[in-house]
Amino acid sequence: MNLIHDKKFASIENVQLGLKNAEYICSKKIATTVYLAYHLEKPILVEGPAGVGKTELAKTAAAFLGVSLIRMQCYEGLDESKALYEWKYGKQLLYTQMLKDKLNDVLKGAKGLSASIDKLHQYNDIFFSLSFLEPRPLLKALQQKDGAVLLIDEIDKSDHEFEAFLLEILSDFQVSIPEIDTIHAETKPFVFLTSNNTRELSEALKRRCLHLYIPLPDPKLEREIIRIRVPGISEKLRIQLVSFIQQLRELDIKKIPSISETIDWARVLLLLHADKLSADLISETLHIILKFEGDIKIAEEHLYEMTRKAIKEAAI
Amino acid sequence: MEQILKDFISALRSSGARISIPETIDAMNTVKLTGYHDREVFKDSLSAVLAKSFHEKEIFEECFYRFFSFDTFSENIGDSPESLAPEVMEEISPLSQMILSGNLGGLAASIREAAREVRITGIQFFTQKGLYIHRILRHIGLNGLNQDIKRLFQKDTLSSKQMAEKLEKGKDYLFENVKDFVEQQFALFSPSVTENLLEDYLKSIKLSNLEQRDFHRMHSIIQKMVKRLNDLHSRRRKTSKRGQLDFRKTLRNNISYQGLLFDIQWKKKKVDRPDIVALCDVSRSVETVARFLLLFLYSLNKSLARIRTFIFCSNLIEVSHIFDEYPVEDALVKLQSGIGLGIVLGRTDYGQAFRDFEESWSHLITKKTTVLILGDARNNYGDPQTGILKSMQERGKRLIWLNSEPRSFWGIGDSEMKKYLPYCHLARECNTVHHLERVVDSLLSLAL
Repeated sequence: MNLIHDKKFASIENVQLGLKNAEYICSKKIATTVYLAYHLEKPILVEGPAGVGKTELAKTAAAFLGVSLIRMQCYEGLDESKALYEWKYGKQLLYTQMLKDKLNDVLKGAKGLSASIDKLHQYNDIFFSLSFLEPRPLLKALQQKDGAVLLIDEIDKSDHEFEAFLLEILSDFQVSIPEIDTIHAETKPFVFLTSNNTRELSEALKRRCLHLYIPLPDPKLEREIIRIRVPGISEKLRIQLVSFIQQLRELDIKKIPSISETIDWARVLLLLHADKLSADLISETLHIILKFEGDIKIAEEHLYEMTRKAIKEAAI
Repeated sequence: MEQILKDFISALRSSGARISIPETIDAMNTVKLTGYHDREVFKDSLSAVLAKSFHEKEIFEECFYRFFSFDTFSENIGDSPESLAPEVMEEISPLSQMILSGNLGGLAASIREAAREVRITGIQFFTQKGLYIHRILRHIGLNGLNQDIKRLFQKDTLSSKQMAEKLEKGKDYLFENVKDFVEQQFALFSPSVTENLLEDYLKSIKLSNLEQRDFHRMHSIIQKMVKRLNDLHSRRRKTSKRGQLDFRKTLRNNISYQGLLFDIQWKKKKVDRPDIVALCDVSRSVETVARFLLLFLYSLNKSLARIRTFIFCSNLIEVSHIFDEYPVEDALVKLQSGIGLGIVLGRTDYGQAFRDFEESWSHLITKKTTVLILGDARNNYGDPQTGILKSMQERGKRLIWLNSEPRSFWGIGDSEMKKYLPYCHLARECNTVHHLERVVDSLLSLAL
């Protein structure tokens, strides 16, 4: 990471403020971890329920640093040719065909097979050089001159082999390409890994990262997030909405609504020109926050008391 | 402070968090960076460096509050320090000096120091608390304090009497605080030991002796095991007729055609997963073990795609759907009561069970199938039907028999195990989780 960012990372408060200016409201814990990651030059492994803003954190960090975001989405079967680099096979083939005639010139004067081969060896591996290399996200992140934010999204979806393969990059910020050499990072990228905990990650990977668990936010933080992300919403509706969502999270449902759902809901209510919650309004828009038929049924059973409580809370 | 950090990390370790040496170094660097002045920041930053999963975060929180709570030394020892005659101060021990001058910080520090000297981190059992309290008190100089009190009482002047009383009071406070401290340290350093002991104990105890309350813990042990074993599945790339284009291989193969792409190669990822048919005895004789064998099958059922489960007693029925439909407790109760399933819980009849299987489900056994039989092979002197078992063995890939009785009981009384034995690829005694673990290991490591 570059020295020019040192000022932004002078203190934890600076980080928190900077992220806030980039429209990301975070707790002090998140700011502390980002601050540490910058100074210790370590990747951050972000875990937490879906939709609490794990990916968003990386995007915001890129905006905060003013560098580009390079994102790599993991999936089962992802391998190094998709993540790191690949040879431009087509180009290599095309060039060999085109240069065929030139070979005669090169080999002119060489007698016998071994002499020709020796002559060929004088020319380095032309076809396995950087110009025939197709950089994929990981290599691209290392090649950025001004540094970059590298987001390795949903690492838990990838295979074990891929996880092991990441280790070299995460600890030393370098990759080895056997045909060329080891490539070091020009400027160390700021790395975020996110995981939804569908499987346990290996100890080795965890050891190389700082770990950040982002929980669902408390009401105060959530209200603040809504205020920043959905600016047009009225104060009263905001409090009611957050209170309702918080109550919803305590029900025994399959998919608990997270921040992204709260934001979506707030936007929908804004579009509908609502300025306060009512039971009818909620039951009409419930499908935006709840994604399962069963969940909606459970929520509808408690709808009236929850609405009443939410309205009461806003009145205080 | 470095020492305190080290102690904290060892407390974390003994509570079950896995912390490596590089992480310890990270923690030191972190503290250098953030400092100690802000408790929240200190906690958050250590948490980011040391606790690497949700579970570990919980451990961390608990440990942190316990560990860093001692610094508030409870209550005041006495009134504000009075002006003491310097000649008196010189006579008495450092401990008494601290008490008389109300130096709480000093006392706390010396208790901590003494605790380190007597290696409190080694505390394991609650019976050791008294011992450690005594050792710490002796180490910070209780003897000196006692002598001071005695001498001051003997002096028989008013001021020295007052002083002696004050010391007496201070001694009580000191005792209380050391006791609290040891309690705290015990909570910090010991529970993991007990926890580990318990887990080990559960693994080696006979399945039939396990109690209901340990059931959940047991379930999680089994799940951990199944998960680990499932991760071991071999994945290999396989050349096939369709799939992804294998460019490297294509190029290599086509060198002989002057680089023209003539012979195109495709690749496909293949995961070897076991294909299992499990038969489980649920009769009275294996009742208690069966509960856990079923639990094991349940976990297997959840993690393996291709498994068919059957239970039998006097006859045999398929129960795969029960495992799929119900949560674990309900499924087990349902299976053991057998109500509404069409199973007859009379005399165990292995022969009948095998015949039932042969009649309706024999097509399930292919050359990739592993047949897993769980039972004690006690057939009430009925026809053992070894012929069917033989044909199962011949058609399947493997036949594994897990017997709940020790090997020495096999073939004694109505046990037909000796007769079945020749047709089993693997027959093991299985009545502890350790046994189960070993069996599952051999099941999956051979990539059945």
